[in-house]
Amino acid sequence: MLQYWTAILTEASIFGILALGIDMIWGWAGDFDLSAYAYFALGVYVTMVLTIGKAKSPVTYVLGLHLPYPVAVALAVVVVVAFASIIGAVALRTLREVYFSITTLGAVWAIYYFVENYTPLFNGYNGVYGLVDPMGRSLSYSLYHYLFLGFCVLALFLVYLLVQRLSASPFGRMVRAVRDDEKAAAVYGRNIFWTKYRTYLFGAGLAGLAGGLFAAYIGAFNPLDWKPTEIFVLYAAILVGGRGNPKGVVLGSFIVYVGFVEMTRYIPSPASRPELGPALRQILIGLLIILMLRFRPAGILPEKLGTDGTERRRTRRGLLSGDPGPTTNDVVSVETLDVTGGA
Amino acid sequence: MSVTPLLVVEHLSKTFGGVVAVKDCSMTIHEGSVVGLIGPNGAGKSSVIDLVSGFERPEVGSVRFDGVELVGKRPDVISRMGLIRTFQSPREWRDLSVIDNVRVARSDHAGETVWRSLVVGRRSRRLEAEDAENRQLMVKYALDEIRNERAVGLSGGQKRLLEFARIAAARPRLTILDEPMGGVNPVLGARIGQAIRDLKAAGSTVVVVEHNLPFIEQTCDEVVVMDLGSVIAQGRFDELRNNERVVDAYLGNDDDIVQV
Repeated sequence: MLQYWTAILTEASIFGILALGIDMIWGWAGDFDLSAYAYFALGVYVTMVLTIGKAKSPVTYVLGLHLPYPVAVALAVVVVVAFASIIGAVALRTLREVYFSITTLGAVWAIYYFVENYTPLFNGYNGVYGLVDPMGRSLSYSLYHYLFLGFCVLALFLVYLLVQRLSASPFGRMVRAVRDDEKAAAVYGRNIFWTKYRTYLFGAGLAGLAGGLFAAYIGAFNPLDWKPTEIFVLYAAILVGGRGNPKGVVLGSFIVYVGFVEMTRYIPSPASRPELGPALRQILIGLLIILMLRFRPAGILPEKLGTDGTERRRTRRGLLSGDPGPTTNDVVSVETLDVTGGA
Repeated sequence: MSVTPLLVVEHLSKTFGGVVAVKDCSMTIHEGSVVGLIGPNGAGKSSVIDLVSGFERPEVGSVRFDGVELVGKRPDVISRMGLIRTFQSPREWRDLSVIDNVRVARSDHAGETVWRSLVVGRRSRRLEAEDAENRQLMVKYALDEIRNERAVGLSGGQKRLLEFARIAAARPRLTILDEPMGGVNPVLGARIGQAIRDLKAAGSTVVVVEHNLPFIEQTCDEVVVMDLGSVIAQGRFDELRNNERVVDAYLGNDDDIVQV
């Protein structure tokens, strides 16, 4: 039981990091990207081939090094960001909305089929396997997993702090201004492509980091483990938690990756239909997306408005008023104005 | 009024498909003036604004702003040189708060790099000093009560005022307003006239595209008249009133409309 909880909490933490990355691209910048799962998978593959050592026939993959785990993850992030910089440069230059999404969808399937069919890269359909061991081999199996869970939770927390700080900063505000109206943002001096591109690369980097963590969690990875359509589970998590609100996105990830697994676990799966549980989980996620869009489209924790900190706050004792603000003499009063405009 | 030309448009031409939108259009805008740009629908006024502000690229011609060629530059580059334009409908950043709309308009872009955003974060002494000024603008444009609300919820008139608050925060050298009176009632119209005079007082040269001729007469020092993609006259409003070409092109032969 403890092992079970360790497993799903580890997964939720890793996918929480991935969701934070996707939310930067979609929630902040408004670009509905469909290739982030490929960045995640690339992060897994690269981390593995950098740590598990030489391939033994008939298995084939590139590199096959024995680098220290943190170095491998850092390199995986670099590779993923480099890759995203190509896709982003094509997709973000002039394409928007559904045209952007279709371009990234094309990219992710191209990567998927390439990885699946070109065996010298990551052993094709059979995938890559081997022990990625961030903490040495001295630990027992269960102790390792507890420690790794702690490591993933810590990583999620640090990423959350970073993303939250960026979200509330002038950068986060500018990205959202570009999202809300590109032409107006250009009128006020913002480079639209560069703003979106930086956000895209930052989000892709987080996807690569999540992949690096996932590599140490699973130990075997093949194309069956990362269908590009899985990204909709992450979009469900973002929708439920609150698009554009990092706290909401983390919450949504835990609701979807912990809550839904839990809910469907107690539904009896007859021995003849072992796939019933996972299938029900997918149905529930679809249902959840529909219900959220109908009743609470901004999510449980909606995007935070940038205020000046004096907004009225609801407290248990009623409405707390903010400060009255400055008063100036040059307020244009409508009553004193000549309606014909000749002041 | 200074006589330095701030904006010099020369022989500008642009076609969209087979339609000639702007044809050999030339005009000069002097620093410190408020200029009305008028003409019948389809005269090419908005197209000229798009060409000047970098949203469209002319086939022929040049646009010089304070001596620097603008043709070929991106809209954001032109904006950073000190030229702010508006569009026919207000374009607020809908899911930002009203005060954030003004903050983005003001920002000098230096605090917006990823690195500085992470190091400095949300609060700094400079940002707080800016916010004090932002609050003054909120009060001035009657937006203070709703400064922490989402901009999408504003009324049409409030969105117009928010546009002026953003321009005031950006402190441009040249402001081009595309029909600021569109869909605006007379009381708010007077307020917009005041906002334009305030822009001038703050040191901005202003170009106003507008169909409301009494408003143009009262607000502008000078008028540029366009028809069929070209400038057909430029001068003081009362001089142009008797210009036959202007009357024919813009107003038909109906003298009543000219007598304001």
